[in-house]
Amino acid sequence: MKTSEAVSATAPRCHDPYLRCALYGAAQVALGVRGCGVLAHSPQGCYQLVNAAFGWQAADYTETFTLCTKLCEEEIVHGGEQMLKRTILEARELHVPLLFVLSSCGPEIVGDDIEAVCEDMQGDVDFKLVPVRCAGFRGDQNDGADMAFDAILKTLVKEDTPKIPGSVCIVAPHANGNPTWYGDLAWVKRTLAELGAAEVLTLTHDTPVADVARIGAAEYSLLLSHDCGQKAVDYLSSHFGVGQLCRDLPFPVGFTNTRRWLTEVAACFGRSHDADRIAAQGETQVIEQCRRKGLEQFFMHRATSAIVADATVGIPLLRFITEDLEMITNVVCLRSCLPRARTLLDAEIQSLGLDCRVIDHADVYQSRQAIGETRPQIVFGSNIERHAVEAFGIPWVFRIVNPESRFRTIDREYFGYTGMLNIIEIIENDWLDRMRSRERRYQARW
Amino acid sequence: MRQIAIYGKGGIGKSTIATNLSVALQELGHTVMQVGCDPKRDSTRNLTGGRLIPTVLETYRDQLRLGRDEYAITLQDIVFKGYGGILCVESGGPEPGIGCAGRGVLTAINILRDLKAFTTYNVDVVVYDVLGDVVCGGFAQPIREGYAREIYLLCSGAFMSIYAANNIAKGIRRLSRKGETGLAGVICNSSGDEQFEREVVGDFAQALGSQFVQFVPRSPVIQSCEVESKTVLEHSPGSSEAGVFRELARRVLEGGRPVIPTPVEELADLEGLYRRRLKGRSTGK
Repeated sequence: MKTSEAVSATAPRCHDPYLRCALYGAAQVALGVRGCGVLAHSPQGCYQLVNAAFGWQAADYTETFTLCTKLCEEEIVHGGEQMLKRTILEARELHVPLLFVLSSCGPEIVGDDIEAVCEDMQGDVDFKLVPVRCAGFRGDQNDGADMAFDAILKTLVKEDTPKIPGSVCIVAPHANGNPTWYGDLAWVKRTLAELGAAEVLTLTHDTPVADVARIGAAEYSLLLSHDCGQKAVDYLSSHFGVGQLCRDLPFPVGFTNTRRWLTEVAACFGRSHDADRIAAQGETQVIEQCRRKGLEQFFMHRATSAIVADATVGIPLLRFITEDLEMITNVVCLRSCLPRARTLLDAEIQSLGLDCRVIDHADVYQSRQAIGETRPQIVFGSNIERHAVEAFGIPWVFRIVNPESRFRTIDREYFGYTGMLNIIEIIENDWLDRMRSRERRYQARW
Repeated sequence: MRQIAIYGKGGIGKSTIATNLSVALQELGHTVMQVGCDPKRDSTRNLTGGRLIPTVLETYRDQLRLGRDEYAITLQDIVFKGYGGILCVESGGPEPGIGCAGRGVLTAINILRDLKAFTTYNVDVVVYDVLGDVVCGGFAQPIREGYAREIYLLCSGAFMSIYAANNIAKGIRRLSRKGETGLAGVICNSSGDEQFEREVVGDFAQALGSQFVQFVPRSPVIQSCEVESKTVLEHSPGSSEAGVFRELARRVLEGGRPVIPTPVEELADLEGLYRRRLKGRSTGK
């Protein structure tokens, strides 16, 4: 086989490092349940992913516990089920209400049956065991999140719970490229309350086990990711009769997207006048703020741009930077792209009248290649793109998605009107930052 | 030190051939170690009078249970002297249906290496008796890690045993590019039709670019030795069958440099090779 053939045969399957493996995604979902334990049935290297997921969910280390069976060669040769049983028994000391058992590649390859072990051990422990078969080779982090949602919905959610009128279940808030996605979740919760939602349950972020059990009682579901969670929402719909809100809408980033989103949500609660009011106030706030603060817009006007992001941020961002910031996007690289997200993106591109190259399931090589070929003036992406496109002399890389390499103490949302200002703030800061570079100063200015 | 491995389809008689080969090599004055690379741990049974010896992995596991590591194992725990002073080792492995036996084989061989088993006992020839087929990367480890330098394929005249041997040859081809490992020859353990088997296995060996080393006839003597848990050379040393194994040992010792095999790529070609001999037999040519 020629080298070029080998590369082309593997390239479409290489998602590293934008997306981690299924174990990471499953751990993110599991760690969103408050006070639970998460046991990684894995060698200790994989356990780092659980720690990373712990950070992404901003779990509370005084309440939430992570464990690992730390498999060694002995367990690979003879199987690790005995080690898993021992670790589950030791977890009794933690006094958690719930223990997720996540399997990694090694034990799955050698045939450890974590579901059978959990079933056997359930009688010996006073907490609920939830096995999630999420070996890294089974998919990327978004697939892993879907696996964990599936396990939660089928084992923890109670059947026949009376419906709570006007309640909403938010699904997959964590599957969002915004490094402080908690801000988006908080904005959605505030807005839902303002539009008349009686109760909001979250699957999952700091969610009590009791709330997880009641999720089937929600009247509506609201998926907060274009990257995963649709299977969970469909299951809630078919099994519990939970209707989905904003099914085919981009998220509320930018004037148009936010107004559309507010209008559709408010219509479900019969509060359309409130949506109009929130939109009018918000739009005024953004315009006034930009006017007073002196938005440096001249460099944005008709500048060619590329978006490299997850679908959750990337798709709504397209309309925002096209309509509101008046840029011309010619490349969109999405780190993941479910068929539904692709349909949505294509509709947005058509609606905006753009001639735009789209690469879905892009890896770093593909996105760098696309940017190198189209040479946009501006790239919306992450710290990865900042380095990846260094050689192309592109003046501006605006780091809006993870990994961002800047510390944020305040959770900054991208959704809604303050979210627009947050994105604009990042753009302005990265623009100024580049101007400070002696090497790029001439290019950036002229 | 010569390092010989015997591969072939499951149930083809690898352990029988390996134990008899070991005894024949020992009769020629060599210090021989036979390493059974099979969780069933029955490779050396004919050398130990039917006793199943403790395995390397079993001993390793016992030490781990006591909070020790592999360095707590001594050679006396895992190397046992069988008939004629032949050194017997069984790698062992996990229980059926769980764990990774291939990884276990490699772990066991690594323990032998770390304990300097081969130099401690001044071993002249190591015979690896490897489980069934190269079903996964694990069972290729004796080849991959360079432990098995001369590989002998064992088959009968049955088509599926030749098919399995051809698949193993593909594995050997892949791995032998990395070192001095290679195919040293093909041995036929007859299932009955001697003339046909000699011809078809000869053709197969030629197709692989290797040599047909020895024909082992189907014999009630060999079968009765198996039941008595003895090798033919111990049970019936004066039999013609014992002579066959002595001849095999002599040829193995004289064997030339192992080659990178050229397995038959397409199943249809292998079937064609087999059909030609079948047809020749029916027409008497």
